[in-house]
Amino acid sequence: MRLILPNDWKGPASLIASMVVLLIVFAFLNPRFASIENFRNILFQVAVPLIIIVGTTLVIQLGSIDLSVQGIMGAAGMAWILLSANTRNETDLGVLAWVIALGIGMGLGLLAGAIHALIKVPSFVVTLGTWYIGLGIGILLYGDEMLPSLKSDVLTAWPTKLTLGLPNAFWLAAVIVAGGVLLSRYTHFGRGVLAVGNNETIARNTGMPVNSIKIIAFTVAGFLSALAGILAIMQLGAGSPDMGTGQLFTVIPAAVIGGTALSGGEGGIMRSTLGVFLLIMLNNGLVLAGVNPNFQAGVFGAILIAAIVAVARPDRGRLKIAK
Amino acid sequence: MTMTVPSVLKFTNITRSFGSVSAVKGITLEVKRGEVVGLVGENGAGKSTLLKILAGVVQPDEGQTEINGVPMVFRSPNDSVRAGIGVVHQEQSLFTNLTVAENLDQRNSGRIGYKNWARVNSDGAAALKKIGINLDPTSRISDLSFVDRQMVEIARAVSIDPNMTSTPLIILDEPTAVLEQNETAVLEHEIKKLKEFASVIFVSHRLDEIMRICDRVVVMRSGKIVSDKKTSEVTKQDLFRAMAGGVSQTAHVERNRLPEGAKPAVEVKGLSRKGKFKDISFTARPGEIIALVGSNASGREAVARAVFGAEAYDSGIISVKGNTVSHWSIRKAVKAGLAYIPSERKVEGMIAGLSATRNVALVYQGDGAKGPFLRLRRLAQAAQSWFDRLDVRPNRIGLPMMQFSGGNQQKIVLAKWLNSPHINVLLLDHPLRGLDVGAAQTVDAQITKACENGAAVILIPDTIEEALEMADEIIVMRDGEVSARHDLRTKHTLTVQDIVAEMV
Repeated sequence: MRLILPNDWKGPASLIASMVVLLIVFAFLNPRFASIENFRNILFQVAVPLIIIVGTTLVIQLGSIDLSVQGIMGAAGMAWILLSANTRNETDLGVLAWVIALGIGMGLGLLAGAIHALIKVPSFVVTLGTWYIGLGIGILLYGDEMLPSLKSDVLTAWPTKLTLGLPNAFWLAAVIVAGGVLLSRYTHFGRGVLAVGNNETIARNTGMPVNSIKIIAFTVAGFLSALAGILAIMQLGAGSPDMGTGQLFTVIPAAVIGGTALSGGEGGIMRSTLGVFLLIMLNNGLVLAGVNPNFQAGVFGAILIAAIVAVARPDRGRLKIAK
Repeated sequence: MTMTVPSVLKFTNITRSFGSVSAVKGITLEVKRGEVVGLVGENGAGKSTLLKILAGVVQPDEGQTEINGVPMVFRSPNDSVRAGIGVVHQEQSLFTNLTVAENLDQRNSGRIGYKNWARVNSDGAAALKKIGINLDPTSRISDLSFVDRQMVEIARAVSIDPNMTSTPLIILDEPTAVLEQNETAVLEHEIKKLKEFASVIFVSHRLDEIMRICDRVVVMRSGKIVSDKKTSEVTKQDLFRAMAGGVSQTAHVERNRLPEGAKPAVEVKGLSRKGKFKDISFTARPGEIIALVGSNASGREAVARAVFGAEAYDSGIISVKGNTVSHWSIRKAVKAGLAYIPSERKVEGMIAGLSATRNVALVYQGDGAKGPFLRLRRLAQAAQSWFDRLDVRPNRIGLPMMQFSGGNQQKIVLAKWLNSPHINVLLLDHPLRGLDVGAAQTVDAQITKACENGAAVILIPDTIEEALEMADEIIVMRDGEVSARHDLRTKHTLTVQDIVAEMV
């Protein structure tokens, strides 16, 4: 455990404290919030964004950004369901479906990373492009026919099935997060990401493989978005090209709330995961507190800004500049 | 058969131009094993370009490079590192978000594989021990002082594999520019130790240091080597003449005093900030130069920044022209006629991507602006007149700031403030840091002139000598408090040793 716990508790402590406050407030508003059942529900909901945020954090630590999450989820998810046993066609490639779907995600990540690193195009624009390429692939696969559903009950039941009391979807995410933390802390690649984010010129001048580091980070992010897309379909039981909608709005604020500066070089995957928990709890709590659904989006946005201001405030030096 | 030991480095006829400006021309230079070669020259003489070629950052247009007798072409910094060349840059090149040990490990980070923390930390500790400094290899660079960071830089340059068959070449690019005197002594000692297993190219503006440390001194001027002699065969005056091209060093500038008893330009009473400085009081009148002297940890920079509104203070009073300020900020300070030359020039003093013209016009546009509109020709005229007055080289006001050398950048930073006719107080934080003799004289002369025109100057000097030469009053600080005050107008017998005793 020591391997993946934070070294510095100052940032995480305030996050955990705000989570405890949220928990007490929501439990007061609706006792059902604090039930075992709802905790399992929250763990089920965090799984998809947790998988995505491992890649998102690596990319933001570089000082870049990956907006392509939802597009890649759509492309990889649609490819996977149409190549697995489904209600629309007779194809069932089994394991090969996974390989192809994850390959599409990695390919789009690799493409974005390579264009960003080698042709030096801002990642904001490149990943905006790959987002829509992914979405386009998803729509093309979707065609004009009916929504494909998974045939296999084993697959649709897997995410909710409990292992050691917790849903499988969460276990998958936990494994990915742990792997991400190990990658970040115990490989030259992971430390290289932080070095590039801190000062790319120095990194280049000391002979670090800056381009490879960037391309790998984006490829990892693409792979994880694809995996998240497949998990989302298993959770839903059906696939559509826009099933990733809203994920980007969760993962980027979650990383920032966790202390990953958008300018790069700071933060960590564990801290980002705390950010995901905070946001998903918030969302879940607002629903259970009976906030009018028409108000929920607005309230969520306002609380999000308040949370970022509260969490980021102590780190802000007087002459530090926010962009 | 006689054994001839090949030189560690042999440059033959190295030339490099940027556009139409040639930075270095026909450089031929040899460095032998275990030799310490001093490299001097004014800003813009081509030293930086030569070092960049050695580091593989810039490629020469012409010429041959031989390392240990083997011809080589450096296409990237990696090639240079592999050839055993380690550079301690003038500007620090550490990853501030990583630990000391990780920064020392950068040379091995060309891999993707597993990172063995135990080994990284023990290697880091060994590298630190080798140069005899006492630092925790697991501490984060951003938590370290400037001096400690410099030491880490040196440790990194030295930590090239000691078992290598060839001799490493270590380039120290003005390592002493930011160090205090006692730390410089430590560094000199280190360089002598380095000679046992490495060759060194030592760049400095301080000729005393060069004469003490180096076996040979190479002087550059206008992109060429104009003198290359053993240290024992040259004098400081020789070097100075070679650098400046004939002009010899002038004594410190005398200035006309303003009549005493003028209303204070700035007055500070009992200024305190927890953990930084405590109960600081001083008065600066028009035409006076007050020097704040102390070690880096003395809190003198924080005091100057507080007076400029760049840092907060907990208690105490700052008055400008007799008015006590409240809710003090940089914006208000600038409006009140305060000017601040920061020690971190590149970060806080200039906008690197903008042209020199725009940088000069940052604070005050005068008739270069009418309503919301800029009058570009007027701005260019103002910049041009400063370029001519301060002898900025190259004399091209349209160039982006980052393309000037450090000394010329500092001249432009100074021009930015002096361009305003309303300057009452000049806060100068290491204004001569990294400047060559010529640029330093220009900057000094402008400070003196501003002073004679009625500005009060608060100076944080690089050296105690600088304070003794320039100041009317010296305030010595130690651990955030004033430990001594000297009025140099009444006391003339003060020595550097006296002040050092009050600093520690």
